[in-house]
Amino acid sequence: MHWLDGLIQGVLLGGLYAQYALGMALMFGVMRIVNLTHGDLMILLALTGISLAARFALGPWPVLVILVVLGAIIGLLLQRLVLDRVVGSDPLPSLIATFGLSMALQNAMLQFWSADTRSLGAGGIAQASFQIGSLFVGVLPLIVLLTATVLTGSLDATLRHTRFGRALRASSVDVEAAAMTGVNPKNVYAGATAIAVAILGFAAVFQSMRATVAPADGPFQLIYAFEAVIIGGMGSIWGAFLGAMVLGISQSIGFRIDPGFGILAGHLVFLLVLALRPQGLMGKV
Amino acid sequence: MNTPLLSTHGLVARYGDFQALYGIDFEIGKGEVVALIGANGAGKSTLLRSIIGLLRVAPEMVILDGRPVGGCRPHRMIADGVAIVPEGRRLFTGMSVEDNLRVAIDHARVTRNAAWTLEGIFALFPILREKRRVPVESLSGGQQQMVAIGRALLNQPRLLLCDEISLGLAPKVVREIYQSIPSISQSGTSIVLVEQDVGLAKSASDRLYCMLEGRTTLTGRSRDISREAIAEAYFGGSHALA
Repeated sequence: MHWLDGLIQGVLLGGLYAQYALGMALMFGVMRIVNLTHGDLMILLALTGISLAARFALGPWPVLVILVVLGAIIGLLLQRLVLDRVVGSDPLPSLIATFGLSMALQNAMLQFWSADTRSLGAGGIAQASFQIGSLFVGVLPLIVLLTATVLTGSLDATLRHTRFGRALRASSVDVEAAAMTGVNPKNVYAGATAIAVAILGFAAVFQSMRATVAPADGPFQLIYAFEAVIIGGMGSIWGAFLGAMVLGISQSIGFRIDPGFGILAGHLVFLLVLALRPQGLMGKV
Repeated sequence: MNTPLLSTHGLVARYGDFQALYGIDFEIGKGEVVALIGANGAGKSTLLRSIIGLLRVAPEMVILDGRPVGGCRPHRMIADGVAIVPEGRRLFTGMSVEDNLRVAIDHARVTRNAAWTLEGIFALFPILREKRRVPVESLSGGQQQMVAIGRALLNQPRLLLCDEISLGLAPKVVREIYQSIPSISQSGTSIVLVEQDVGLAKSASDRLYCMLEGRTTLTGRSRDISREAIAEAYFGGSHALA
């Protein structure tokens, strides 16, 4: 029972990690853009949401709507003002630019919000749970997992079956050829980054409802997102979801072996996948 | 000829410090097939890249329908009815044949009576119907070229630019591909054929231009131009003397 509980908690934790990972799967996995501000943007959205909720006495769901819209706008600006200028065949400029931006964001947030950890009041839903046999399953983690599943399915279907999805896949393969087929790559990339950061709006709300956030937390979310995408396989949206599950389960089981071992267990499983199946679980060779 | 569909006027293009084209005057009328021949590095592909908007040129250097369009971005040119079969095919690997074609349908020129449909492409190249769900990189070279041509046609072009569509293909496949040229032309689409094979270019076109080191050295009706004149224009005067 102990281990089964670990497994279920791991899957639920994976639901949250999947929400970090989806935007990364789109930007790093499909577009091959390294965006080191990924985690910091989530923290920025979370802190903004917490402040808005406190200032205007908003519940978590109105905050969610605001953060998703705000995320889309931030993503659009990030692509237009920063990434468009540095993205090319050489990955180094985007790495350096977003590394600098990440530092600046973390310190700006520290200045504005201080180093305190904060969270978003979730009402009764944070404590609500139901019992299956002798296992307790939290309602909020279950909502997080369901949301992650729906988001993954929608994003995957968008990439496969829509005009935007085909244009994005084409641009990722050969941006010049896509332009020669009538695609405006700048618009497509701006749309994709907007979607990637908008999804972080979901992650921001659920992260700050389930746990706490502080200005310096971004790099952790960034690492989990990277690991989930790589475990799952570059370019695969459901792969990133699966990678997030693997990471969540590894950490959850690790915590049960030893409370200090949880995070490390996740990293070790990541390294193991990298060694044994470098293309990822669902990646094509 | 009355007003050309597209013309270039004193077109110059450079890659950084290297000047590739030195004042090209080129024109093509509605429904015409014009061949562009010349040795490697003569500037044929550069001319096509300048027309489609991959190289920045001054607006008045490229005139489409009497309007200056030089330097317009490629997606604007495609919307205006110029499409290209790029050198080396440049297909979207990892995507199915049908998805490759759909990208072009999604971004086609808006027109009331679209000349080309997916069915039309499958009628032109029946093998693609069989392979429609297959990843495009698993096709043979000739089949990939058919996808590249189909993709450009589905942009609903008034002018189709074909960059070395016979390159690297077996003679039988080249014949098969070139058999599609008359039916494309009959739909009213003008075609520019960049071609290394002079005989092929001559027989498939109404007019031809020969380029050498960034300049046009010969132009005229394809059937009137002698092989000797082409040889001289192709290799330059010094070679003809030797």
